[in-house]
Amino acid sequence: MFGKEMSMRQTSVVQQHNLNFLNFRYYRLFIFVVLISLLGYTFSSNNNSNVTNKSICLLYRHFILKRFMAMFSLWLLIKSWLHSLFKWFLRTTTKLCELQRICYGHMRGAGRFINTERSLNASKSPTIKKLVAHLNEVSDNQRFLGENKEELIKKSVKTILLVKKITRKIHPQFVQSFSECIDYIWSYKQMLAEVEVLRKTPYDADNLEHERRLDELWHLLMPNQPLECRITKQWQEIGFQGDDPKTDFRGMGLLGLENLLYFSREYNQHARHVLSHAQHPTFGYTFAIVGINLTSMALQLCRDGDARTYFYNKNVPSIVQFHKFYCYLFYEFDRFWIECKPKNIMEFSSIRDKFEFNIRKALEDHSAAFKLNVTIDNV
Amino acid sequence: MGLLSILKRLRSSPDKELRLLLLGLDNAGKTTILKILSSEDINHVTPTAGFNIKSVTSDGFKLNVWDIGGHKKIRPYWKNYFENTDVLIYVVDSADKKRLEETGLELYELLSDDKLHDVPLLVYANKQDLTDALTASELAEALGLPSIKNRAWQIQACTAKEGVGVKEGMEWVCKNAKRK
Repeated sequence: MFGKEMSMRQTSVVQQHNLNFLNFRYYRLFIFVVLISLLGYTFSSNNNSNVTNKSICLLYRHFILKRFMAMFSLWLLIKSWLHSLFKWFLRTTTKLCELQRICYGHMRGAGRFINTERSLNASKSPTIKKLVAHLNEVSDNQRFLGENKEELIKKSVKTILLVKKITRKIHPQFVQSFSECIDYIWSYKQMLAEVEVLRKTPYDADNLEHERRLDELWHLLMPNQPLECRITKQWQEIGFQGDDPKTDFRGMGLLGLENLLYFSREYNQHARHVLSHAQHPTFGYTFAIVGINLTSMALQLCRDGDARTYFYNKNVPSIVQFHKFYCYLFYEFDRFWIECKPKNIMEFSSIRDKFEFNIRKALEDHSAAFKLNVTIDNV
Repeated sequence: MGLLSILKRLRSSPDKELRLLLLGLDNAGKTTILKILSSEDINHVTPTAGFNIKSVTSDGFKLNVWDIGGHKKIRPYWKNYFENTDVLIYVVDSADKKRLEETGLELYELLSDDKLHDVPLLVYANKQDLTDALTASELAEALGLPSIKNRAWQIQACTAKEGVGVKEGMEWVCKNAKRK
């Protein structure tokens, strides 16, 4: 039987002063207009019973389309104009720039960092644009580290204070929060670059270090059962496909192995608990293969930015944080898989997609803290 | 009317739908071929747990391609996907000489199944870029393809990760699809 498990996703509800609330109304209006036009379009194309009807339909469609295009461009124009007006209004009434409003208005964490990132990326100031490009270049080349990082953060804050005409003495709080924003945003990018290097490194059976790590994985997961030889069917017990795991890492390269290794080392009890589920006769799955697929999912979530919620609510992003995110995903996936009571492994893709959908949904809430908070009782 | 005609073309459905089944041992390159067909990035391929499905349009055909994992534990489920298959595509790692016999046996089993009776067979001799890869004709000989008399078959050399040879195989598929 499975051990009882509890996993709690603690969601602290934080009161936020959202200063950009007005924007949402416009988006809704816009979506409404689009829907109405599309509805008219499909409706008109449905009845094509005779020739006259058909030509009427075509005319109607053409009319709707033209109108839609015109409205769309008009909408874009109005939107950008209103946005600038709105920002100017806030700036003059509050005497604060957008970055300050974000740093003061949002609690520390994903809400503040994500909005700061958006604001910096959308900035029209050439100096800020240059600054963002420079920081991107540094983090892409994995140089957003140590002293260089401290130096860059100081310089960036200085630049922003200058461009936005903020006095350091009047806003010491801003300097501190904004430094942290820079640190998180570009440490995340640095992490992405580091992860990519690992992913691009293929598993190499001639590399002793790679082989040692593979061996370590076995010993962590199956401590009571020694590996008979390097190429053996035993690998299938921890969910590799054949006699030799080297062909299973594929596009995930060393990253797949490192992820599995971290999970098995740092959360050994959890990992073995999950492995015991994977070896279940009816609800079982291939542990390692599913793990490699989850590496791919973790990577995808990080790349398209949805995972920022997770990382920005934790310690400063680093490769260790990426491994932790992976462990969280694996543990939650296992729980979800058992809940779904799949008939066999063929349901993997559909359950995987549902799981990904749920995770993305949870990541939308900027105040959510994702905790691998579990107790395992072996009943 | 430019935009209108584009929209109309998008809405018009292709003439015929084909159901293609991609099978083969694990690490043969099935998912990579699927990704090439749907013009997706092939650098992030992972081992297939379960199956993948993609719909692609080619030469006026709508191809529904089913890529089923090749792992030994999954192979017993292959037969659940046989129904209504128009073309069977079998992928072989031409450089994996150790498992040549195993892949031959799996293929033989597929061909003797009733549900796949007279379904055309395309064999991709994949990974031609590897130095110790068998050529397409050597592989055909090794798999005993020339003795197949009850169906149309073809062997196509390819290097899926470079996209070489995949298109030629699909052209044959579209020409020889089982008439319903």
